[in-house]
Amino acid sequence: MEERVHIATPDHVSLEFELAGPGSRFSAYVIDFIVNVLLVIAIVLTAYLTGALAALRSLASISAGASASWLWALVVLIIFLINWGYYVFFEGVGKGSTPGKKRMGIRVIRQDGLPIGLREAALRNLVRAADMLPPPSYILGGLVMHFDPHGRRLGDMVAGTYVVVEKFDLAAQGASGAAWAKRVEQGRSRQALTLPRGAISAQQIGLIEQFLARSHELPKERRRQLIWQITEPLLPLLEEDRDSLERSAERTERCERLLLQILDLAQQKTASVAIAPKAPQPSSLF
Amino acid sequence: MQDAADKLEQWTRFYQRAQTLLRGGRRALRRLSGAELAHLIDEYQALIADLARARSLGAARETVDQLNRIAVAGHNLLYGQIRLRERAAPAYGAASFARLVRKHTWAVALSAMVFFGAALASFVAVQLYPSLGYDLLADEFLDFDPANRDNLHSIPSLARPVVSSLIISNNIQVTLLAFGLGLTAGIGTTVLLLFNGIHLGSVAGWMMLHGKDRALWGWIMPHGGTELLAICLAGAAGYVLAGAIVAPGQVRRSTALKNTGGDALGIELGCMVMLVIAGLIEGFVSPSGIDYPSRIAVLAVSLGIWALYFFGAGLKPVRSAASEPASQPLSSSQGN
Repeated sequence: MEERVHIATPDHVSLEFELAGPGSRFSAYVIDFIVNVLLVIAIVLTAYLTGALAALRSLASISAGASASWLWALVVLIIFLINWGYYVFFEGVGKGSTPGKKRMGIRVIRQDGLPIGLREAALRNLVRAADMLPPPSYILGGLVMHFDPHGRRLGDMVAGTYVVVEKFDLAAQGASGAAWAKRVEQGRSRQALTLPRGAISAQQIGLIEQFLARSHELPKERRRQLIWQITEPLLPLLEEDRDSLERSAERTERCERLLLQILDLAQQKTASVAIAPKAPQPSSLF
Repeated sequence: MQDAADKLEQWTRFYQRAQTLLRGGRRALRRLSGAELAHLIDEYQALIADLARARSLGAARETVDQLNRIAVAGHNLLYGQIRLRERAAPAYGAASFARLVRKHTWAVALSAMVFFGAALASFVAVQLYPSLGYDLLADEFLDFDPANRDNLHSIPSLARPVVSSLIISNNIQVTLLAFGLGLTAGIGTTVLLLFNGIHLGSVAGWMMLHGKDRALWGWIMPHGGTELLAICLAGAAGYVLAGAIVAPGQVRRSTALKNTGGDALGIELGCMVMLVIAGLIEGFVSPSGIDYPSRIAVLAVSLGIWALYFFGAGLKPVRSAASEPASQPLSSSQGN
């Protein structure tokens, strides 16, 4: 089982979720089990007391027996509903969180990153009997979870859901965030860049920006090829030695640094800045 | 640093706004004006661009995590409200149950074969080898007399609501197991159907052998048609899931399960409704004093209604998702 799952959005950005491990999921299960039992006890107790009260009030009345029967019929149905519907209700209404899950900071999401609805909640919980095999050990579900790269039990597969960790506190946004925000803000504008040896068009700069924004999603080899294709035509403008760079062991890293440098230059808006002899080292932040 | 502070504030503002709107649900989003909505979308797109940039340029882990978190809120807000029609998602309307049952005829046939096959085999076996009855029947059924007024025909009317609700929850539990255990490649479902079929067949065979069959049928008939049909269909729901595991086709098993899960759930939900009906009949009609011909009539009418429903309901093609107006994606219901 992997630690994280990436979900591609229609905007071509991947959202990242941390998968919940078996430990926190089991703890959540134990809490939910206890809550479940307490609920049943509370309901039986309430019914018992109301029944006793009703019997006391209408001593010797004929209707008392009939209403008691209906009361217990209701209790039977409610207990059945709690046993099978506890998870369906809480996950379906509470956006994937039961009381136990909330306590453990985990939640169920759909495979496309959206919160689950009643349909998914019903699917993943009504097939629990299979995961529980041999009951009540959850050995089958545990094995499936262990071997699935996304840590899903059988019910998760049927419903198309992941269980993820819900954390983060926005208030914790620190100084590093502020420094980074500046950098991101600067990267926004695109304009043509004129260098002593020629010009780089706004489109080219846009391409570089887009490539850098997406390149982490590419396989390593593909990324190496693409970055070379993008950087190579620009090398004469940057007064870099093409041949030595091509043979360099860390070609990809150096190309990336050059591209970042171009973006930095484009940001400074002054036309004919000489290229710094040495690429600026990334600050500790990056 | 002024820019940076602005940026931070912008992110925080977007996050808080998204949280507020998420809490408000669909209605909150619908109250927004077009311009506000467009602005919200712009902000979201700026945010995910920031996220992509932050990630690729290697920002600190917590910064990326926080941006990611805000992006998730925005994503859930904007896309969560659009009804996403999954390919296989059935509309859970009144006719969809019949449509699903017809769609998975093979599973229904298999389930019926196992369940009624086991019943028939054990019925015949008990006729041929009466001593088998001692192995197959639970003890309380050996001396059981369906005609005895103490047990079946005269559940005291006071107890009927409780008996009825017990029967309903017990039967639904059986169908939920038959459905869920389909995930054991159908083995669990098969075992469950065999057990229930053998129980039914051997009791019937035993009563026949001892001349008590008329009373037994009289008791079973009013609710039996609906109840046995429902158990058989629940087995089919289990086999639909099993089909995804045994023969997933071109996709992964987990994907196949996801694709057929909705169908199986639709059948299972239909079975639950059938069992509520059957349980009410079993608790209130079967133990009542109606005569034999009326009992046959109840059976005939219930089977006739189910036949009409399963062969007739929803024959007209459903309006496909594509033919519906796509002009108001945000006003649609249910995030599904």
